[in-house]
Amino acid sequence: MAETEAVKSNPRPIIRIGLFFMSHSLLVSVVCYVAGIFALLLLPILSKNTYISENALMPGSASPMLSNDDVSEANRFMNQISNLDSSFSRLRIEVPRLIAHHISAMGGEVNHHKFGPQLKKQHPLRFFTIHDPGTIQDNFTCSSLGTNTIGIIRAPRGDGKEAILLVTPYNSSKITTGEVLALGIGYSIFSLLSRVTWLAKDIIWLASDSRHGEYRAVTAWLREYHTPLFGGLGKLQDELCLEPSSFSEGKPLETIDARNLDTFRRAGTMAAALVVKVADTSSELEKDALSIYAEASNGQMPNLDLINIVNYLAVYGQGLRVRVEKMYSFLHSHWLKGLGGVFESLGKLAKSLNPEWNFDISIAEYIEGSATLASSLYNQALGVPTGSHGAFRDYQIDAITMEISHQMSSNYRNRQNELLTRSGRLIEGVIRSINNLLEKFHQSFFLYLLTSPNKFVSVGVYMIPFALLVAPLPVVAAALFSAASRISSEGQVATSTSVKNPSNKFRSWRWLAAAKTVFIVHFWGALMTLLPYLSGQIPEFTPATGVWLWIVLPVISLLLFTFPRRKGSQSSTAEWMYLKSVTIAAAFIGLSLMSVINFATAEIGAILLVPMCLMAAPLSIKIQSLRTIVQGACNLIFAFLGFPPLTFFVLKGAIQDLESTSIGEFWTWMVSLWEWSSATYVFICMVHLPCWALCAVTLLQRS
Amino acid sequence: MEEIAEAKKRKLVETQSFGFGFWKWAAAAVLFRLILIYFPISLNLASRPEVSTPVTSLRRLAEGYWLKKLSMSPYAGSMYHGSPLLLSILGPLTVKSFEGQSNHLLCRYPSRLPVPEKVLGVDFYCICSFAWIRWMMSNFQLISGCSLLSVVADSISAVLIRGIGQRLQIAYDQNLRWLGLAELVQGSLPSGDIAALVYLWNPFTILTCVGFNSTPIENMIVILSLYGACTGLVPLAAFGWVLASHLSLYPVFLVVPIVILLGCGVDGPPRKLFSQFSSKAGKDIGSDSHIGSIKTQATFCLLRPILLFTLWAAIWASYLLILCGISLKKTGGLLEMFERTYGFILTVKDLSPNIGVQWYLFAEVFEFFRDFFLLVCHANILFMILPLAIRLYNRPCFLAFVYMAISSILKSYPSVGDSALYLSLLALFTNELAEIQFSFFLFCGYVGVSLLSPVMHNLWIWRGTGNANFYFATAMAYACFQIVLVVESVSSMLNHDRRIRKLSSTEKAKVS
Repeated sequence: MAETEAVKSNPRPIIRIGLFFMSHSLLVSVVCYVAGIFALLLLPILSKNTYISENALMPGSASPMLSNDDVSEANRFMNQISNLDSSFSRLRIEVPRLIAHHISAMGGEVNHHKFGPQLKKQHPLRFFTIHDPGTIQDNFTCSSLGTNTIGIIRAPRGDGKEAILLVTPYNSSKITTGEVLALGIGYSIFSLLSRVTWLAKDIIWLASDSRHGEYRAVTAWLREYHTPLFGGLGKLQDELCLEPSSFSEGKPLETIDARNLDTFRRAGTMAAALVVKVADTSSELEKDALSIYAEASNGQMPNLDLINIVNYLAVYGQGLRVRVEKMYSFLHSHWLKGLGGVFESLGKLAKSLNPEWNFDISIAEYIEGSATLASSLYNQALGVPTGSHGAFRDYQIDAITMEISHQMSSNYRNRQNELLTRSGRLIEGVIRSINNLLEKFHQSFFLYLLTSPNKFVSVGVYMIPFALLVAPLPVVAAALFSAASRISSEGQVATSTSVKNPSNKFRSWRWLAAAKTVFIVHFWGALMTLLPYLSGQIPEFTPATGVWLWIVLPVISLLLFTFPRRKGSQSSTAEWMYLKSVTIAAAFIGLSLMSVINFATAEIGAILLVPMCLMAAPLSIKIQSLRTIVQGACNLIFAFLGFPPLTFFVLKGAIQDLESTSIGEFWTWMVSLWEWSSATYVFICMVHLPCWALCAVTLLQRS
Repeated sequence: MEEIAEAKKRKLVETQSFGFGFWKWAAAAVLFRLILIYFPISLNLASRPEVSTPVTSLRRLAEGYWLKKLSMSPYAGSMYHGSPLLLSILGPLTVKSFEGQSNHLLCRYPSRLPVPEKVLGVDFYCICSFAWIRWMMSNFQLISGCSLLSVVADSISAVLIRGIGQRLQIAYDQNLRWLGLAELVQGSLPSGDIAALVYLWNPFTILTCVGFNSTPIENMIVILSLYGACTGLVPLAAFGWVLASHLSLYPVFLVVPIVILLGCGVDGPPRKLFSQFSSKAGKDIGSDSHIGSIKTQATFCLLRPILLFTLWAAIWASYLLILCGISLKKTGGLLEMFERTYGFILTVKDLSPNIGVQWYLFAEVFEFFRDFFLLVCHANILFMILPLAIRLYNRPCFLAFVYMAISSILKSYPSVGDSALYLSLLALFTNELAEIQFSFFLFCGYVGVSLLSPVMHNLWIWRGTGNANFYFATAMAYACFQIVLVVESVSSMLNHDRRIRKLSSTEKAKVS
C-alpha cells in the first residue's frame, strides 16, 4: 500500500490539474453554470452577419427576366383554377388535370403521383429510419388518394444529373386564394424557365396535394422518387382508379396520353428545394413580407447559403421584408429589456475603452435577437419540421419554405400582379443562383442558430455555453467518486485493520452496485419510451389517461426503486455518493450524445438537468446550517420542476398562459413528438426521466 | 457494458450459490441471442461498420461463395477477403436463400448505398449481387443458419473461457498457499465464471453474434488455442493457433504466450519468489513435489512441449495449406489467397470507415509515403511483442490479453468483436486486478464511445452535416480508452505481483 501512496504523491501534471478541479468542485460547478447561462444570454450579441460563402452562387448577377406576359399568363391560369367547380370530388380531379395540361402545353414533361394518407403507426424499432414504409392500408378508396402533379423541364445545357425543385402546396379539398396565388407563382416561373437557355439543372415543379397534410404529400413523392417500387401503388391505382380519364368533358387534354401521366418521371439528384406559399392573411406591415421557415426534423437546418441568397435577393432585389419566426412573448418581457439595457451600456463602455471592440447593441435589437434565437432554439429542440421542407432533409436536400404575405391594400388586382412579379422574380433569381452551383451546398454552415434573417450564431460559438453548462458534470462525478471511495475505505479500515481482509479487496469496483441501479432505472426509462406504442394498441385511450399513466407510473416505480434497499456492507453515505456520481456520469454521457444529435434539446435540457443532478443530496442530512436548508429547498424545487409533465406545464405557463390548457395536452404533445420520431422524445424518456428518478432516489435515501 | 456490471455485481453478492447462477445466466444469454436472431424485424446490424469489417463480413462471404459456385475465383471483384475454408464451411449456409428467387429482385437495388461500396466504387456486377444479398438479409429465416452457428460458437467460447478460468483459479490458489498467503485466497471470486459471463453478456459480443459475421468463430478458435495451451493439450493448442492465424492473421502473435504456457505452465507470481521461498522454507512446508517442479521451472522451461508444439503446428499448417490449395486449385491458387487475405490486411486496401485508426491515416497520406507508414503501423505492434513478453513472462494468459488488446487497437480492420474477446480475457484476472484504477472512468468511456460512434457515423454519412473528422474523433477516443485500459491493467497486475512479493517476504521473515 505504501508504494501506491508514494506513486500517488507525485502524479502527472494532467492528473494534478484534474485533482485541483475536483477539490474545488463546488466553486467550479457554480462558476461554470453561471458562466454557461451568461454566455447563452450573450449569444444575440455574439451573432455574426451572414455572408454568401459559396462564390459560384453569384446572386443577383443577372437581371430578372420574368416579364408582365408571364404574369398575365399566370393570371389567366389562376382564373381558370378559381372558376373550377368547387365541389369536392371534381376539384380533386380537375386541378391536377388543369395543371398537367398547362405544363405539357409549355413543353414540360408531366405526370401524376398518387398517394394515400399516412399511417400513424410508428414502430419502436423503426424510430429513426424514415417512416412511411410505402405500404397503403387495404381499405383505401380512390377518393381518399391525393394526387401530386409533377412537371419537369429538361435543362438545355445540363446533363440531366441534377435538378432544382419548386413545391407549391394546395389543398384539393378546399383551395384558398393564397394557394391559388402560389400555384400562379409556380406557373409563371415554370413558363419562364421553359423558355430560357441558361438552365444547367432540370427544374421540377411539384404541385403537391396537401389534403393529407403538406408534409405527407412531399414525403410520399420523395420516397417514390428515391426508392422505386415495382408493382406498387401506382400499378394498383391504374387498375382501380381509372375514372378520371373517363369524363374529361371537352377539356383539351387529348395532347396528353393518360397512360403517360402515371409513369413516374425523375430528374437528377436535387440540389435544392423551394417550397412557395402565399399567406392568406395579409401582413400588418407596410411592405410585402417574406417569412422563411427552415427547421427540419431533429433540429437539422438547410445550408446557411440557401437562406442567405433568399434573404439577399428578397431584401436587395425585390425590396421585401424578410422575417424568421420569433417568440412574441419575449418581445414584451421586462427582464429581457433590463438585460438589454445592461448589455447596451456595457457595449458602450467597451467601445469607449477600445473603439475596435464592437459589442454595442441597442435594447430593441437585443430583444429582437433574443426572441428570434429563442424561437430558433425552440423549433430545433422540438425536432418537428416547421413545414414540408422538412421532408427533404431526410434525403440530404437543402430546402426552405418561403411564405409570402402581401400588404394590406384596397387595390387588390394591381397588388396581386405586383406580388406575382416580385415573388416570381425573387424565385427566378434564387433558382438562377442555385443553377450556378457546381457542387452541392457545402461551403456554409449546417449547424447554426438564427438571431435574425441576416444574423446567425455558428456551432463554434453556441457550443461554448453548452460546454460550460456540462463541464461541472464530470468534475463533480469524479470528486464524488473519490470522496465515496475514501469514505468507504476509511470505514473499512476502522472495522478491520488487516489489509488482507477479503471484503476490502474489490474496493475499486464498489461503484458496480450503483451502476446496476442506474442501469435498471435507464432500462425503465426505455420502457417508458414505448408507452405511446402500447397505448396505440389499446382502443379508447384518452390523452388524460395517458397523462395520469405518466404521473402514476414514475411515482410507483420510484417507490419500488427506493424501498427495497438492502443494507449493504458499505456505509450509506458512500452508497448515495456512488449513486449520485454514476447518475451524473450517465447524465453527462446523455447530454453530450444529445448535443450531437440535436443541439437545441441538449442546451435546454442541460439548463434543467445540470443543477438538478448536481444538487441532489439526501434530504435526511441533519440540518446544520443555512447551506443545508437552502440545498434541501432547491432540491425539492428541482425535483418537482424536473418531472417532465410539470416541466411542460410550467414552461407552457411561462411562455403562453395556462387558461386554455387541459391536462391531456402533455400526452398529446408527447405522442406528436413520438410520431414525428423526434430525438427530443427519446431524450426526455431515456435521459431526463431516468436522471430525475435517480435524483429523487438520492433525495429519499438515508444519509 | 451495464450487463457486465450487473453480472459482476451478482457475483459479488452471491458467491455461494454460484454453480447454479452461472448456468442460469449463461442460458439466459443464449436465449437472448436466439430472441434477437428470430426477431421479426431485421436489425440490419450487418451493415454497421462497428460490427462487421471487410474481412469478417458474411455478406461478403456469400458473395465469394457465389463467385466460387460460378467457378470463378472467390477473390474476384475485391469483395471477399477471408479464408477459402470458411467459404466451404459457411458458404452453404448462406446459399439456401438464392434458390427459388425470381430475377426481378436483382433490380430492387436500394438507392442509398452504404458507404463502403460508395468509396470502393465497385462495379455494377458487384452492386447487383450485393443488392441480392441485401435482400436475402431481410429474409430472416434464411440467415438463421449462420447466426445459429455464431450462437453455438459463442457458447463454446464461454465454456472454454470458464475452463481456462478454473485452471487459472486453481493455479492462483495453489501458488498463494505455497507462498504462505492462504488468507489472500479467501474471498477470491470464481474468475472463470465471471469471465464467461462477461463474454456472454457483453453487448459487444451480442452485437457481433447477431451481426452476421465470422468474428464469433474466429474468437472461439483463439480461445480454443489458449484453452489447449492452458490444459497442456499440445495438438489442440497448435491447431487453434494455426487456424486462428490463418483466419485473421493477428493471433499469430499468440505463439509467444502459448509457448510460455506450454513450456512453463499457467500464470503465477514471479518464479524467483518460489526459488527463494522454497530454498529457505521448503523444508518446513514439506515434501510437496510441486514446489520442486516450480523450482525447476524457475530456472528453465520444459523443452519437450515446445518442440511438440512446433511439430504439431507444422503439421496443422501444412494440412491447412493443402486444404486451401485443393479448394483454390482451379482458380488463383495459394499465392492469390495470400495476396487477397493477408495482403489485404497488411496493405490496408479498404479505406471504408471503421472504428480503428488506420483507415483515416491511409486515406489522408500521400501515395509515396504509403509504404513507409504501412511499415510504421505494423512495426508498432511488432515492437511491443518482445518487451511485453519479457516483462510478463510469468503471466502468459495475461500476456495473451495484452497482445489481443494491442492488436485490436492497431489492427487495420478492427470491430467490436475484438474488444469482446480481450475484455473477457481481462475478466479472467478479476482477483488479480481487484485494485485496478480508473475502472469507472474506463467503463463510462466505453459506454460513451460506443453510443457516440454510431451517432457520429450517422451525422457524417446520412445527415451530411458532419464530416469524417467527427467519426474519426470517436475512433481516436476509443483507441485512447483501450490504451488506458491496457496500461492500467498491466500496471495493476505488476502492482499485484509486487504486493505478493512483499507479503511473502514478511511471511518468510516470520518463518525464519
